[in-house]
Amino acid sequence: MAGSKAVSNASKSKRIKTPEAGFLAELALQQSTQYRLAQGFGVLFAIALVLQAWAFANVFSDMVLQQAFSLSFLFLALFALLLRALANFGRERVCASASRHIRYGLRHKLIKHLTQLGPARLRIEEDAALSTRVYEQVDALDDYFSRYKPQVFMVTLIPSVILLAVVPVSWIAFLIFMLTAPLVIVFMIFVGHKAAQANRRQFNVLAMLSNQFMDLSQGLAELKRLGRTQAARDRLSHSAKAYQKTTMSVLLLAFLSTATLELFASLSIAMIALYLGLGLLEILPWQVGSAPVTLTQAMFLLLLAPEFYLPLRQLGNDYHAKQKAEAAATDLMSILDTPLSAQKALATTESHMPSSVQLAYLSFYELAWQDTGRQRLAPITGNILQGERVWLSGESGVGKSSLLHLLLGFEENYQGQLYIKGKAFSTLNLRDWRNKLAWLPQTPEWVNGSIRRNLLLGITEPSESNIQKALQDSQCADFIAALPNGLDTALTELGSGLSGGQMQRLSIARALLSKADVWLLDEPCSGLDTDTANAVLNTLETVSRGKTLLIVSHDTHPIHWADKHWSLNKEGLDENKGGLDEKANYAIPR
Amino acid sequence: MKKPTTLSLAKLLLANPWGFIVPVMTGVVSSVAGVALLGVSGWFISAAGLATALGTALAFNYLTPGAIVRGLAILRTAGRYGEQVTAHNHLLGLLRTLRLWVWDQRVAKPIADLHQQSRGDLLQRLVSDLDQIIRWPLVVFLPWLYALLGYIGVSIFAYFIDPVLLWPLTIAALCHLVILPYVCGRFASHAVHVGQILGVHRRSRFVSLFSALITLTIRGHWQDYAARLEQLDCRQKRMEWQIQQAISLGRLLGYLVTIGLFASLFFLLGDLQADTFQTSAFQNDSMNWQLKEHVSGTWLVGLVLALLAVNELVLPLVQSFVAQGQSQVGLRRLNQIQQDAPSVSAPALGKLNRLSLQDWRGYHLESGLGNQPIHLELSAGDTLWLRGASGTGKSTLLASIAGDCLATGKAYVNQEECKIYDNPNFQAQLSYLPQSPYVFQQSIAANLMLGKADASDTEMWAVLEAVALADWAKGLENGLSTLLSSQGRDLSGGQRKRLALARLLLRRAPLLLLDEPFDGLDKATIERICQALEHDYQPDMLILVSHIDSPLSGKAKVIELPN
Repeated sequence: MAGSKAVSNASKSKRIKTPEAGFLAELALQQSTQYRLAQGFGVLFAIALVLQAWAFANVFSDMVLQQAFSLSFLFLALFALLLRALANFGRERVCASASRHIRYGLRHKLIKHLTQLGPARLRIEEDAALSTRVYEQVDALDDYFSRYKPQVFMVTLIPSVILLAVVPVSWIAFLIFMLTAPLVIVFMIFVGHKAAQANRRQFNVLAMLSNQFMDLSQGLAELKRLGRTQAARDRLSHSAKAYQKTTMSVLLLAFLSTATLELFASLSIAMIALYLGLGLLEILPWQVGSAPVTLTQAMFLLLLAPEFYLPLRQLGNDYHAKQKAEAAATDLMSILDTPLSAQKALATTESHMPSSVQLAYLSFYELAWQDTGRQRLAPITGNILQGERVWLSGESGVGKSSLLHLLLGFEENYQGQLYIKGKAFSTLNLRDWRNKLAWLPQTPEWVNGSIRRNLLLGITEPSESNIQKALQDSQCADFIAALPNGLDTALTELGSGLSGGQMQRLSIARALLSKADVWLLDEPCSGLDTDTANAVLNTLETVSRGKTLLIVSHDTHPIHWADKHWSLNKEGLDENKGGLDEKANYAIPR
Repeated sequence: MKKPTTLSLAKLLLANPWGFIVPVMTGVVSSVAGVALLGVSGWFISAAGLATALGTALAFNYLTPGAIVRGLAILRTAGRYGEQVTAHNHLLGLLRTLRLWVWDQRVAKPIADLHQQSRGDLLQRLVSDLDQIIRWPLVVFLPWLYALLGYIGVSIFAYFIDPVLLWPLTIAALCHLVILPYVCGRFASHAVHVGQILGVHRRSRFVSLFSALITLTIRGHWQDYAARLEQLDCRQKRMEWQIQQAISLGRLLGYLVTIGLFASLFFLLGDLQADTFQTSAFQNDSMNWQLKEHVSGTWLVGLVLALLAVNELVLPLVQSFVAQGQSQVGLRRLNQIQQDAPSVSAPALGKLNRLSLQDWRGYHLESGLGNQPIHLELSAGDTLWLRGASGTGKSTLLASIAGDCLATGKAYVNQEECKIYDNPNFQAQLSYLPQSPYVFQQSIAANLMLGKADASDTEMWAVLEAVALADWAKGLENGLSTLLSSQGRDLSGGQRKRLALARLLLRRAPLLLLDEPFDGLDKATIERICQALEHDYQPDMLILVSHIDSPLSGKAKVIELPN
């Protein structure tokens, strides 16, 4: 069928494989059985459609000519209608379940990927924005998988079936369908392309408006203090109005594609009706005196005419589903495309193992990390003995955090060698190793819940006296006692009025409770003022005695009590014995 | 109307009635023309067939129905196009109205509660709620109206064929337009509601868990927590399934009602006739159905075809009424932020030249944490330096003086007692630099002009010079019109603070409150800023919270906050 070919060509040419389209197609492939089932229902639907038209046509013509009709035709017609309803029901359910499976599977995969990315996920986006991607953006794929994708098949199927059914009845009607179908498609592509551009622009501007609203709302407290809320309101109102005005010209074009379809559908129904009416009256100019079709056939054609264009019109309506899905796909792909650390490229060569490795707790030998051509960490060599406390400093971007992430086991495609107690890092049981670690980042990690729950996050519950001791040691006990609910006060994400220093002390208490013997600290004091920072560092000094500790800190917050000071730069590591070296002495707070 | 500002769906419809009438009218024209197109075509063809069979073909007037059919086709198209364009215009207008409504509610909110609501994800939810709600008239109300009008048109037609047909039509219309949408909507509304709550819950758990990802992972307990996240997802999936179930079943029932309607139409209009009369179409049939005398076959064909067209209008209704549930949930959430208009505006204040605080204690509402009560006297020309160990509530105290934070005690402005919390008249007299000030996603100039709306370029460069940002701004390609990224993320913490300070200096308010303004700045920059504060931009009164010494501290009165 040339017509159906034109349709499928059109849908193919639309499917120029952008990476987004490829991504969506791959997802759809997971549910190919379901989609095949949906196609089966689609075929049933199309057959019922033709059957219904045929039965009704018989009923109608007999009714008109004889005032009576056969009941069996009526039952057939109603049965076909029922069949159509059932096929539609089945199709809808199958497609919806396919979409659900795809989306929930994808979400699971995304969360897993983000988990494995660990700290590297923050290179994509902050957590709140990631949650929007994982939930809203994944759900934005729904319309695409449950409606657009199956509809693409129906757009090919239904017109072909109708054309097949029309051929034996009337050549003229067949030709009308055949001529209008490609015209519709050509116009759809022609106008649709422009409309898609217009749509995209509109989408962007709308996003910009939302963004403006968000921005002003987030800074509302500031605006209130400045007494400028009215000005901001005017600004919101003004830009929305301006957008409304300018967008109308864009919309006139954007809806033209729908209008074209409507026009063709309406006109060809009218054309077929006229042709059939005149033909029946035997006054067609080229066929005066004879009827090209019987009344039954005429009715049959008339009933099929609107159905011929209906799937195309629906596809036109669902077109925005595709755009929405592709926009979402871009964001989702950027998560999945962020590479996980590849599993260790090559087994470490043991030949280079220096003798000091045997003695040290942590030992680096020419350890470097290069990631997609960018040097994240210059090759470093050094040892940390058990119970030794090391201060690591250096400019930002030189790889201090990267080294900690390596030690946490989130990055495995490093170069060079890393030994823990004389064993190559890659041969370690990651779980056992991580159990020995305590992690104190710049902003302490908290979950929603009470202080107690946060202190005991992921550890077996210690005795109450142990908790009290940890709180005493970390100097949390006083301010916790001052809280109305004590340990059961909820720590919301915003903090419940606890200061940055108090939060850091709580995370020290947590580290104490975990009984970890290797502490990794990533600029624990960078958000604090000098007095608070010094107080926190003093606490750290007393509680971390005997622990193996690697603390990253700027020169502005020198760690005087460290056994060693490593300063990291683009070339490697400089080691100074003792925390108080010259560098720290003349460091000016920046 | 209970409260003048509560939102409701009905109010959405009436928000801009004149703007709404055009899409409604065009939509009605289009839908009715669509139904009539099929009906008239059906009648035309059968009448033509009948005329030929009766041999009266030559007398048959085919021009009028032909013209009507073409006219209807064009009307349908033009109507649909007009509806889409005008409806979209209306929708944009509605979006603007609603956004401004949300804005007004948030402005009316006490400032201490505002911080909670300003979190990104909450706002995001508000925005998506808005998008959901504005679609209500277009997705739910209009289709329903079209279907209703379709039924009314068909009923008038049916009345002329045989008034008895009004019975099945009324029943079918009731089922299609009222019962099915209502029942399916009710059936799904629980799932919609639960689904939305789960969605919020799931998101906050996600953010909460991921913010502690590393700790959870190294403790080896991530799996348990992730499994709980998964559990929420599964429940959400079940809710989605229920919603889908309601929609699909509703649509199936809709079809069944249509089938029943057809069956009863034919039943009412004819009688069983066992006798056989032979036609080419059916030969050996014993069961024939004879139409009643007064019923014209041609008209009946038109009616059945029109009903098939109405069926197409009716089918999407179930889905849209389930969607209505979502709008209602969104609406309820929006109404939660609804605020009564601020009761009474505080009396106007003269220019601030004296501020005295007695037994003053600022505190946070949720935790009750704050500073120990203090006395504080300040008159024009004074500089005050608040000091204290970490945790003594310096920032809270400063925020409470700025009217940003709740406080107990008495405040006297120019010797008169005055409420200063969230008092715009008082806040007009002060400039407050919090620890993390907000930088708007606008140009540098626009950010500065928030301090002084009519600031000239010279003024702006001067103030940037004063906070030692002029060199940085000059280095930018677009200078003052450089757009800053969201929340000033492309600025360093120190730059953000200085930009906000520049904005405040332009305001030249009598009272300046600075919370750790020198954090992360080098000595030269600190000196430069202090220079500006002592000369060109000197405020009448200055309260400073700082843990480091600065040139300002020389002449400052010091208040050491007790622990």
